[in-house]
Amino acid sequence: MIQEIADALVTSWRNFASAFVQFVPRLVAATIIFGLGFVIALVVRRVIQRFLAWMNFDRLTLRSGASEMLRMAEMPPAEDLIAKIVFWIVWLGFIVSAVDTLQLAPFQGLVEEFFRFVPRFLVALLVLSVGFLVANFLWRATLLASVNAGLPGARLLSGALRVLVIAIGVVMALEQVGLATGVVLAAFAITFGALMLGLAIAFGLGGREAARSLLEEQLRAKRERESDTAPHL
Amino acid sequence: MDTESSLPDVLLRQLIAVGQVDVLVGLPTLNNAATIVDVVRAVHVSFTRDFPRLRTVMINSDGGSTDGTTDLIRGATFTEADRVQTSHPLRTLHRVLAPYHGLPGKHTALRTIFAAAELTQARGLVIIDPAGPSTTPERVTELIAPIARSDVEFLAPRYRRHPRDGILITQLVRPLVRALYAVGLDEPLGAEFSCSGRFASHCLEQDIWSHESARFAIDLWLRTEAAAERFPIGQVWRPVPTVTGSKTTLRDVVHQVVLAVIESLRAHESFWRNANAVSELRTWGTDPAVMPDVTPWDYQALAEQARRDIVEIRPLLEDVLEPGLFVGVMDNVNGSAPRIDDELWVRTVYGFATAIQHGRAAMDHMADMFVPLYMWRAAAFMSATVPEAHTAVQTRLDALCDTFQRLKPTLVASWSNEE
Repeated sequence: MIQEIADALVTSWRNFASAFVQFVPRLVAATIIFGLGFVIALVVRRVIQRFLAWMNFDRLTLRSGASEMLRMAEMPPAEDLIAKIVFWIVWLGFIVSAVDTLQLAPFQGLVEEFFRFVPRFLVALLVLSVGFLVANFLWRATLLASVNAGLPGARLLSGALRVLVIAIGVVMALEQVGLATGVVLAAFAITFGALMLGLAIAFGLGGREAARSLLEEQLRAKRERESDTAPHL
Repeated sequence: MDTESSLPDVLLRQLIAVGQVDVLVGLPTLNNAATIVDVVRAVHVSFTRDFPRLRTVMINSDGGSTDGTTDLIRGATFTEADRVQTSHPLRTLHRVLAPYHGLPGKHTALRTIFAAAELTQARGLVIIDPAGPSTTPERVTELIAPIARSDVEFLAPRYRRHPRDGILITQLVRPLVRALYAVGLDEPLGAEFSCSGRFASHCLEQDIWSHESARFAIDLWLRTEAAAERFPIGQVWRPVPTVTGSKTTLRDVVHQVVLAVIESLRAHESFWRNANAVSELRTWGTDPAVMPDVTPWDYQALAEQARRDIVEIRPLLEDVLEPGLFVGVMDNVNGSAPRIDDELWVRTVYGFATAIQHGRAAMDHMADMFVPLYMWRAAAFMSATVPEAHTAVQTRLDALCDTFQRLKPTLVASWSNEE
């Protein structure tokens, strides 16, 4: 009996030692990959920052209004933000690779999943960035055009347009990463549809007289504006 | 510059038939049937009576008139009085009609006329505004004579304006050109001018003609180009033009002027950064002496419109102007009466020029943002000067020119310094 217990203990110890001996190299390799990945990610971040500075990327963000939006959101400047995102993508890649090296059953196939996700994530970021740029440009253009045309509520109109374009960009980005696609699309469609329906009812039923007065005033003001250059030239 | 390729075949054939000339008269037209016959007659009498020995050609470059302008030019005949004055013509005044091709706009017509001047080796070129006031033979002679005598190579019109007339000129364009280009040009914008053939050939070699902004920037660019390239410039008295029936709104005009100014500043940066002592220009012709009155207009309404617009675009102005400048402007706009002192106005103009140069927003957007600021300044100027005598107002205008000149170093310093 005692001998059987001893044999069981020895066998168990041998199995543990064998598994440990097999696991340690993998653990060491994973640790090296983890540390090396951190260093490489740091280097890549620095390279990206230098490259964007060389390209005068800050001028582009200033001109497009992106830097102002980031400042209002209490986020770092665009070039720092991009460098940080790149840093995390690179390091996450190495982390995933390190975890895969450990050959732990629940995490099998993680590397493949990660590298399938990264391009979609980058495209989503691109869609979001373009959405913000377009939204800002349209906001500025609409505000100026509305002011020039003498339309009331120019800032409200242009602000609403900016929010709408950003919302569309966010929905497209979420769809790209595949995050709760159905829910997001349904929520957006319902919200947008309800808003448009409400505006149509309010304007069509309740605002007819106001719309007529506004149009008449616009036409009259336009005729006056056409002949107002004489004292200035 | 390949002169012949920029001229349509029909015009080229006619010019070859005309041969070499001394003076070329350019008539860019677009629906000027009401005045064109008188203009043609005046040109004919002027040349035949006052420049009988010069070989001349009159070229009409038409932009597609639908009111029969070109037919009227072709068929213009002369009265008995004209024939008495021109009873012994030595030369033939050739008359060439040709529509211009390419982008619509005055700049295309001018390019065609300049190319024709180069082809015919004209020593002098005069551009007549067919809608200009009282184009008499004497006025045409005054426009040509200094160029024909080679006294100057660019002759710009000068008007005996009331100091409260032409606010966009007196508050922005004139002091800006004076300070930056160091030339005492009274009217930097103007449809009429005359120049030497050498200047016309020089202009043909420049890059301006293909720019979109040349449509409205060409008049200012010609004058600043003459100053920057040190062509001798002079002025000639002309009757004050009247702006009637214009379909262009004030906003469009200010927008175009802003773009024209920036186009010129970019083209001549190396000159105006170093130009300092203002040189006053000689003026030819008969001084009208009598100053026309100014028609009263509602500057209070303009001020209220400007105030509303500035409040609406406040977030955009905050992005573009330096903080101190932005606060100063908004303090003035929030006041009870329209007010913006000379120093703040000049700093705002220079601030906008710098912001456009640094690309803080699209140039069209920047020009639109400037419009309500100019409207505010115009209203403030009127509000301050309506009770004053015209001599006091003229003193203010001179002081504004000095302020533009004094603050020029800030523009020079900030123009190339990117943040």
